Amino acid sequence: MLQNLHADWGKRHLLYGLLAIACVFGASAQSQNRQLETLIENGQSDLDAGDFGGAVASFERATQMAPDNLEANRGLLLSYLQAKRLRDAENAGQSAIARWPQDAPLQHWLGLVYFKQGQNAKALERLRSAEGLDGTRFDIHFDVALVLLSENQYAAAAEELEKAIRFDPNTAMAHVLLGRCYQNTNRTVQAIEQFQAALRLDRNIPLGHYHLGFAYASLGHNPEAIAEYKKEVTHSPDNPSVLYQLGHCLLEAGEWKSAAAHLKRAVESDPQNSDASYDLGKALLLEGDAEAALPALRHASELKPADPSAHYQLARALGKMGRKEEAQQEFQTFAVLKKTQPVAGGMAAGPTQ
Amino acid sequence: MRSRPSLRLRFPGRWVAAAMLCLATCALPQASQQSNRSQPRTDHVAAARKIGNQQVHASPVSFADVTRAAGIDFSLTCGGPEKRYIMESMCGGIAVFDYDNDGWMDIFLVNGSTLEDLKAGKCHLGKLYRNNHDGTFTDVSAKSGINHCGWGFGAAVGDYDNDGWEDIYITYLDGAVLYHNNHDGTFTDVTAKAGVGNLGRWGTSAAFGDYDNDGNLDLYVANYVDLDLDHLPELGQGPFCQYRGIPVSCGPRGLKGGRDRLYHNNGDGTFTDVSEKLNIDPNAYYGLGVLWLDYDLDGCLDLYVADDSSPSMLYHGDCKGGFTEVGVQAGVAYSADGREQAGMGIDSADYDNDGWPDIAKANFSDDSNNLYHNDHKGEFTDLAGPANFGPVSIPFLGFGLKFLDFDNDGGKDIFVANGHVNPQVDQHSFGVTYAERPLLFHNLNNGKFEEIGMAAGTPLARRYVARGAATADFFNDGSEDLLVSVLDGPPLLLRNQAKKGHWLRVKTIGAASNHDGFGTRVQIKAGGLTQTAEVRANSSFESASDPRLHFGLGAATRADSIAIHWPSGKTDTLGPESADQELVIQEGQGVLARHAHVPAPSKPAQSRQHLTHRTP
Repeated sequence: MLQNLHADWGKRHLLYGLLAIACVFGASAQSQNRQLETLIENGQSDLDAGDFGGAVASFERATQMAPDNLEANRGLLLSYLQAKRLRDAENAGQSAIARWPQDAPLQHWLGLVYFKQGQNAKALERLRSAEGLDGTRFDIHFDVALVLLSENQYAAAAEELEKAIRFDPNTAMAHVLLGRCYQNTNRTVQAIEQFQAALRLDRNIPLGHYHLGFAYASLGHNPEAIAEYKKEVTHSPDNPSVLYQLGHCLLEAGEWKSAAAHLKRAVESDPQNSDASYDLGKALLLEGDAEAALPALRHASELKPADPSAHYQLARALGKMGRKEEAQQEFQTFAVLKKTQPVAGGMAAGPTQ
Repeated sequence: MRSRPSLRLRFPGRWVAAAMLCLATCALPQASQQSNRSQPRTDHVAAARKIGNQQVHASPVSFADVTRAAGIDFSLTCGGPEKRYIMESMCGGIAVFDYDNDGWMDIFLVNGSTLEDLKAGKCHLGKLYRNNHDGTFTDVSAKSGINHCGWGFGAAVGDYDNDGWEDIYITYLDGAVLYHNNHDGTFTDVTAKAGVGNLGRWGTSAAFGDYDNDGNLDLYVANYVDLDLDHLPELGQGPFCQYRGIPVSCGPRGLKGGRDRLYHNNGDGTFTDVSEKLNIDPNAYYGLGVLWLDYDLDGCLDLYVADDSSPSMLYHGDCKGGFTEVGVQAGVAYSADGREQAGMGIDSADYDNDGWPDIAKANFSDDSNNLYHNDHKGEFTDLAGPANFGPVSIPFLGFGLKFLDFDNDGGKDIFVANGHVNPQVDQHSFGVTYAERPLLFHNLNNGKFEEIGMAAGTPLARRYVARGAATADFFNDGSEDLLVSVLDGPPLLLRNQAKKGHWLRVKTIGAASNHDGFGTRVQIKAGGLTQTAEVRANSSFESASDPRLHFGLGAATRADSIAIHWPSGKTDTLGPESADQELVIQEGQGVLARHAHVPAPSKPAQSRQHLTHRTP
């Protein structure tokens, strides 16, 4: 009995001891888990706050504490990416993907690391993998489209953006980008629809009216284009591209005085914009002020010395001023430069898409 | 560690927004990456059509397709459906002329061929249709003697021998044929005797005009490409055999241009080729459109030639039988930015009624058509943009182009026949289509036009692969109608059914001047408006139109005065004259005849009445 009792006590003691040890270890593990969770939450907060250095520190500690924790590894990759530590991000991403090859976010973000490094082929490979793992994510399709856009693969980018918009139709920028893809693949009406959709979602979206104006202009609908460019000017009053396109459309529409005013502002905002300078000269010439046109045209020809167009306008301006010999010289320069230009236009020689 | 059911870690939007902004600003649409002047903008027809639909509004203008009802059963053959070779896209000549001198416009339609049939000697003849005066035509081809077996392109009309009967000149892939009108409904091939064979050359448009004012019509022939039919460049096989990266027929770039020909009429039924002597087309550009006009009103004909993929030429006549090429200086050689264009059809009219002839030119798609306004000092300014004529045309590939006043309001409107050259575009998603709708620009009489093709009746809203275009009052009802050739199909005879104003038509008969009165400038004053027009038959693309001058008078019921400035230098002054009639005016003799307008033509003999003959 005693023996039994002793034995029972021994067993019980052992059991208690084991329980105590277990409790100690359990408490320690629980504490570690809480610490890890805190690190991850802190890292996320830092990311959201834009404190990418803080995020890196948190996630580095988290992954040291729990190298097999997926979320900590995701956070580390993302924080490196945000902190622009692309080499570290690449290493972290590769290492994590070796362990979790089926994780869509890791594939997605490593793809973005490659995209930021300019390695678009690798980026696409990873992003496509992410897409294969989770084809329902707006952001993955969107980022695939970004890479394709940077490669000028407008048709393929359009497909991705169409998918993205199916999952989230309320992101204005996706509509803008899809519109640009359509515009560049000769689907201008669809482009217009997308730009309009973007502006319905966010009437202040950067360059939304600009792109819509460009689409209208490419259809030859100058009044609509001018209206959109004017709206864009209210958002971006000093954007030389917007001012130039507005001025160009006004010039095309025969509103030479207004065109000259906008083109002058475009040139002031960006004195290196030879097209704006050229159009300014042309507008002034058409307005009947050949003398004022001369400096603008000369400036345009200085900026683009191989472009014959400015010399053509210069010749016309000088001719109207009665400076026939100088006009003839400009025509000759024009003729010489024409011979150096690549062929363009005409039957079966349209621009290659 | 508990699991996180929803992953909070995400790619922050801030970076995305920055990337987007960069892409948005740094990678603008392709066309804007280049300057607006370096390349035409890319675009497409379907888009324009859809947008155009949104802008359709009611229009008093209406054209009816009466081709079948009129008995026109012609079908144009022009190569195979793939258009593997460049000549398979360029057919479509039309000649509208009164070959039997009955006062009604007849029709000749030039036919093309196929490479196989041409080599096998199988003929595809053109057809001559006589106007029955009742809205129908009769095919009189078999009797006509116009039976040259070849691959035809353009037609020019003129009374080269001043016998009072219109002759016809037809260009072919190899050479050309001049048919003399025998006054009995038949024609005789007089090419060899006349010396206007254009041998070994592929002529497109041609035009008669008396450039030295000797009373005899001279002849200009635009030549396109020197082709060797045994060594034709194959579709897609070369750097100039691509359109937007897809294989298409080759040329004209990369192919040798055909030098144009100017034949001086010796006055004895023969011509002398003066091309070299007068330094005509020394660079052998790819000629497609020809227009005689007196742009500086010096009384001598000048010449404008539209070239494909190369500068267009303006030859200023010096009144002594010589020319100086002034296209660049005059501002009509290039686009407004000094860029070569693919000029096709051309025509001239005083669209702003300032007394000076302006020029319109149709171009390739992705480019604007031109409206060269005459600045009166030997220079032109392309006002296509401000006039709302250019931008609308950007998606369309224009061929035939004619000024007309379809609503008789005194402002010249413009019709443009469109159609792409590469059927392959339909297999791709460029948005560009092979068949395109025509464009009809209504002159708003304030320097601007409004494109109303979609609103001008169903036939103009449909799509065609159109080429030649001619205007005429086929039904002598005071309305300018349209005839359009369509590749690989029947033409379109479009009867003008618009509600319209009053009108006056002038037919000129030269005495000291050439019998047709080509080059005569007629000025009429009516309703406070002065209109000026020049007599010609040949313009547009490969086509000849009704040479009678048509003036819309709007609400005015009479022309107060009519001044006729003949090429001989003489001027006849007439008036007042009632509206709604045709005046036949002979140089130095005044009105020879007045033909009244009968509103509902039904019977040939009753539809026209000679009212008076008078000798001033």
